[in-house]
Amino acid sequence: MQRRFKTSRTGIDVDLTADEKVFLGELVDLLVAVPADGDDPASQRLTVPVYLDDPDSNNEWWRLMGEELASARDADREIFRRVTIDPGRSLLTVEEADAFLRVLNEGRLAVGARFGVEVEEDHDTLRDDQREILDYLGWLLEELTTELTKAL
Amino acid sequence: MAQVVPSPTPVMDPHTDEDQGLDRPWQVIVWNDPVNTMSYVVYVLRKLFGYNETKATELMLQVHYEGRAIVADGTRERAEVDCYRLHSHGLWATMEQ
Repeated sequence: MQRRFKTSRTGIDVDLTADEKVFLGELVDLLVAVPADGDDPASQRLTVPVYLDDPDSNNEWWRLMGEELASARDADREIFRRVTIDPGRSLLTVEEADAFLRVLNEGRLAVGARFGVEVEEDHDTLRDDQREILDYLGWLLEELTTELTKAL
Repeated sequence: MAQVVPSPTPVMDPHTDEDQGLDRPWQVIVWNDPVNTMSYVVYVLRKLFGYNETKATELMLQVHYEGRAIVADGTRERAEVDCYRLHSHGLWATMEQ
């Protein structure tokens, strides 16, 4: 299969098909629509506690850091969305590619949570279409991780 | 063994339990996750903490097989920032003393 991410002298070249861009655009839409809190498994996965045995400290951490985290995620998603609406190939800096990677991972976490993946064995009970989505995102993630590791 | 001579005046030990609690470093813990990929976790640990590949892989495998690993320690403020950086990369990190 053709590589989707390739390191060049000027950055990281992203070469996604039109169908992939549509799918990834929907993924970022899904992330934007995840509620900030509540019972949604995606929301819960993206707001896991920092203090396990201290609810007051945990609430305080999320009060102080939660907004900043949400802003950082929004900025990452903007870069991601820019690639999905770009009709051609995109050239990203390492920092932009890193943001793209974070959104890929965030999307995979959110989707995995909504598919009910809570332990490793849950992968065995996924429907085929669910497994294909996680595998596809995992494949992109692995490719981009490999490219970004070269820049460390 | 030298003979111990009791001091006639009691001396307060400056290192009370409370002080020791304040001095103890906070530990940043990464927990296992069934969705994050192994190579991604290694990449994040290398990028955020500057670990070499061997150390980052060792920590990732500890997370995978034992459920959790201490990836950093330090002051409470430092640990809170480290948790923020790990959460912004989608890793589940907690802190404890």
